[in-house]
Amino acid sequence: MSLSTRMVVVLTAIGLLSGSFLAIVGEVTKERIKLNRKKEIEQAVLLVVPEAATSQTVYEEGSLAVHLAKKEDGEPVGLGLQASGSGFQDKITLIIGTNLDLTRITSLTIIDQKETPGLGAKITDKMAFLRYWENRDCTQALKLRKPPVEDPQALAANEVNAITGATISSQSVLNIVNAAVARAKQLQAEGKFKPGN
Amino acid sequence: MSLLVIFISAVLINNFVFYYFLGLCPYLGVSRRLGPSLSMGMAVTFVLSLTAVSSWMINHWVLIPNGLDYLQIVSFILVIAALVQLVEMFIRKVSPPLYQAMGIYLPLITTNCIIMGLALLAALRNYNFVETVVFGISAGLGFTLAIVLMAAIREQLDLADVPKPLQGAGIALITAGIIALAFMGFSGIIK
Amino acid sequence: MPKKSLTQELVKGVWSENPVTRQLLGLCSVLAVSNAVINGIAMGLAVTFVLVFSSLLVSLVRKLIPNQVRIASYIVIIASFVTIADRVLAAYFPDLSKAMGPYVPLIVVNCIILGRAEAFASKNNVGRATIDAVGMSAGYVLTLLLMGIVRELLGNRTILGHQVLGKAFEPWVVMLLPPGAFIMLGLIISVANFIEIKAKQRRKSS
Repeated sequence: MSLSTRMVVVLTAIGLLSGSFLAIVGEVTKERIKLNRKKEIEQAVLLVVPEAATSQTVYEEGSLAVHLAKKEDGEPVGLGLQASGSGFQDKITLIIGTNLDLTRITSLTIIDQKETPGLGAKITDKMAFLRYWENRDCTQALKLRKPPVEDPQALAANEVNAITGATISSQSVLNIVNAAVARAKQLQAEGKFKPGN
Repeated sequence: MSLLVIFISAVLINNFVFYYFLGLCPYLGVSRRLGPSLSMGMAVTFVLSLTAVSSWMINHWVLIPNGLDYLQIVSFILVIAALVQLVEMFIRKVSPPLYQAMGIYLPLITTNCIIMGLALLAALRNYNFVETVVFGISAGLGFTLAIVLMAAIREQLDLADVPKPLQGAGIALITAGIIALAFMGFSGIIK
Repeated sequence: MPKKSLTQELVKGVWSENPVTRQLLGLCSVLAVSNAVINGIAMGLAVTFVLVFSSLLVSLVRKLIPNQVRIASYIVIIASFVTIADRVLAAYFPDLSKAMGPYVPLIVVNCIILGRAEAFASKNNVGRATIDAVGMSAGYVLTLLLMGIVRELLGNRTILGHQVLGKAFEPWVVMLLPPGAFIMLGLIISVANFIEIKAKQRRKSS
């Protein structure tokens, strides 16, 4: 065999072998990877809507997805709004738990973020940040309280604490939440999803 | 996300060298003198822009429509390797002086993680075509800025009396750390 | 150069030819994922997997591959193993895969692997190539662990998520950030150089 044929043969063989091998690995893991993401989101929804036992996606668009959370007996208890937007460093994706008529935020959790470790990344910290998001009144846009206060009771019903040293990350989360809630209200008014069924 | 944000973010805030730690091999290897550093920076910027374009096309025209996303890594690296080869041949033919200035750095660029990193990050963030191109150019400029700064400092360091164990990589990395610290100051620029 | 014994082949990767501190290879991943010990371990295992199997395979087929296309062939082999590692992590350890972000796919351009394929596996038999790869991986993992332990301890007061330092210790947040990574690695390399220089002096004087 001449050198150039050998080169072609060897390269094609390697390419084919690796390609087919990867196709197998890809197929085997594909479903599982999708499932992981679905599971992660479902768990997050159950975390932010109290009493929820199952959740299903009822509406989806660009940066917003609405998940309906139901109790054990199938009765709807609340909504999980999955929203994303830009943070201080990179995209933040979070899930907001609300009641069915979107007037009250029950809780909040962050799924993806790449904020500064030790500062902005505190938005995932229950004690430092997330607990101040429980039971917020969202009939109007929420506001940021700075400097933050220690006692959640000291906040007004539509206020949440900023994180000291990471106001921008806190503000980003707030913006994403406000935008998502406003959009969800609009969608609900348009009848894009019904909470009742 | 607006293009300006992508630009500022890739050059200053999430600088590929100081934030993602990409492209460190040439960053430490070629940053001894100012001139070669600048050439290296330009070569990297050039290849980065081309990679941004071609990896986007491969990803959105070939891989995603056919559900072949598991071939991403293999195809990106092959595209990059082929691209670098082509660029090298092209430059040698068209502009020998440019080849003199950039040529020896080109083969090194294939294994430079900054190129692969760009292709993967752009795919991960679902940038559209224009955003990917801007991202590529800004990443290259960010790298150039980083390597030129470093070379300027290292030229001065040569005159300093550095303790023996710290010489070479040790002091270079610590210097990079201090520059990275300074770059963190930029992180409030966007909003 | 006389052939080294197999033990020497194994041990050289840990100290005298440590890929990170001596050869300055694979620095990106060392810096990027060493902010927590657990990420370091996962990255270490992923690199070990890719390095050992690519070295093995490259050494197996080294006589079949024409010289002109060897780099391209190595790259395809390495990229295949990297894809496997990436997919398996994403499928079975989603949290780890998320924490490491794009750095797992980036193993493909980790110079350690291509470096060993080109400099060692392509010139040695399968046994030697595998042993060399295991040694190199060990050196890489150890450096990564050392970085991870120091950075997590000082930056977050914890090791593997367990509280180690008391509340009285104010965490050095900078250790978790990129500058901390650069400076820490610079110091580790300097200490390694220092020990090497001392050892050389002792050898000379004796």
